[in-house]
Amino acid sequence: MKQSRSLASGIVALIVATVIFILPFLFIALQAVKSKSEASRLNFALPKEWLFWENLVAVVEARNYQLLLAYFNSTVITVFSVSILVILSAMVGYVMQRRQSRWNGVAQVALLMGLMMPPAVVPTIGLLQSIGLFKTMTGMILIQVAYNISFSTLLYRSFIATIPRDLDEAARIDGAKPWQIFFRVILPLLKPVTVTNVVVQSIFVFNDFTNPLYYLPGRENITVQLTLYNFQSTYTSQYNLLFMNILLVTIPPLIVFIFFNRQIVTGMTAGAVKG
Amino acid sequence: MADLNLNQIHKSFGALEIIKGIDLDIQSGEFVVFVGPSGCGKSTLLRMIAGLEDVSSGTLTIDGKDVTHAEPSERGIAMVFQSYALYPHMTVAENIGFGLSLAKRPKAEIAAKVQAAADTLQLTHLLERKPKALSGGQRQRVAIGRAIVRDPKVFLFDEPLSNLDASLRAQMRLELSELHARLKTTMVYVTHDQVEAMTMADRIVVLNGGRVEQVGTPMELYNHPATPFVAGFIGSPKMNLYTGPFAERLGCKTYGIRPEHIRVSEDSGDWRGQVRHVERLGADAILYLDVEEASSMMVRLAGDTQLRPGDTVWASPQDSAAHRFAA
Repeated sequence: MKQSRSLASGIVALIVATVIFILPFLFIALQAVKSKSEASRLNFALPKEWLFWENLVAVVEARNYQLLLAYFNSTVITVFSVSILVILSAMVGYVMQRRQSRWNGVAQVALLMGLMMPPAVVPTIGLLQSIGLFKTMTGMILIQVAYNISFSTLLYRSFIATIPRDLDEAARIDGAKPWQIFFRVILPLLKPVTVTNVVVQSIFVFNDFTNPLYYLPGRENITVQLTLYNFQSTYTSQYNLLFMNILLVTIPPLIVFIFFNRQIVTGMTAGAVKG
Repeated sequence: MADLNLNQIHKSFGALEIIKGIDLDIQSGEFVVFVGPSGCGKSTLLRMIAGLEDVSSGTLTIDGKDVTHAEPSERGIAMVFQSYALYPHMTVAENIGFGLSLAKRPKAEIAAKVQAAADTLQLTHLLERKPKALSGGQRQRVAIGRAIVRDPKVFLFDEPLSNLDASLRAQMRLELSELHARLKTTMVYVTHDQVEAMTMADRIVVLNGGRVEQVGTPMELYNHPATPFVAGFIGSPKMNLYTGPFAERLGCKTYGIRPEHIRVSEDSGDWRGQVRHVERLGADAILYLDVEEASSMMVRLAGDTQLRPGDTVWASPQDSAAHRFAA
């Protein structure tokens, strides 16, 4: 009795998950291989002709290979901003956890405000313009770092709390300078959180649509999410190419997620329970 | 090998004074044990010698050099932590050699020194393992190995055996004593376990409430405790201590008599009492008596005693072994 009930609830959960996660993906994949007129009907019917290769080439070649440039830009932004985030927030988390001073409270509030308050776009653009970083990759990288540092620091700080202070002190007696304690003893022990952080932040930065839209305008600055605009306009939409484009920009984060799925959960829950 | 001198050492956290002026001279090559109850400041004192805690006032010299405000690594000390504090991501060899690699010594020299330390501690076959693949005793040895390669003038131990089980603890006590005999380095050892203090120390420093209660060899402290606190702390089972009318009748403020210095007879003696409980340890038996004039009393007897709970007995002290304190 009990067993059949748990079997039934398992099946229901699977069906719900399929409807929410698999069907939309299937829909995208289907439209991506149809012809323009078929795709404009936006249904689940199988295509008369499978135009996978043709659509792929059309998307990649669109606007003088703009998609390739977008991949390059997005990769540069992701790699640099995530690297800075990891090093910087691990350092901030370490200092905040280990050193008690009256600035801790201030830093704490700043951290929480970074999490809770939505960033204001217009003043940020004004600031970027005044320091000459508007419409530059550097500016975009710094924006991504600033927007995500709170979450990342909290993640590190709670994990560092589980590393015994004895290790810092043992290293100090062994003659390590503070930066050596951090880079040679603490940072290697943060690997589980670092993996989580790298994966979560990379996916977020790579998939970001709105921030590049506001802070990184200009043809040569295009990022992958913004290429979606190429096939949609007020009067005509090429749904087959649009969905092919969606498929292409979804794949890299999906691969990362599938491979690192387990580590993400480990890192997120690490430090929750002693052991 | 070095002398260690503490001169009027104080330590305060805010308004709270933890260490209230400690003077101590530790001779070169001595094995000194700091012992005392939780919160007496023994670990804080050790951490001040190590340089992990600031000294609020007073001076600390090692080998005649003032190191009161020196960095831990410049003091010529090595420390073994209660938690061992091994670096989990490094192998045993890397753990032991970490200090040397920080000092940028040549690889061959590091390897040779690590090998020598591993030979001393029988760790050679474990050098490539990570700490999590070691047993408690092996981890302890790695922590000691990390201290040995630094070739320190003073070894500091912060309750190093308290995470081990009883039989392993006895074995490690022996190994540490042998290590001291071989290296002849000054060693300072903190523990709350008076058995460790008695068995290993050349001299014991009994601390209580941030002050030195008494300093002396283990047998000096056992035979001639200066205060009731020391009397109650050193020796196992604990000395019987009485205050109030019972002590006053015997001519002092506090009267103390060790369980092993009381004779028990079934027909006559000084104090009449009833057996409450008998703890049989094999060679010995510990008798818990409810004595009429005093409260409870512990007596150590031979293991084959026939007394049982409920029996009425007479207890008499060996008067020469009694301790009378004015406080």
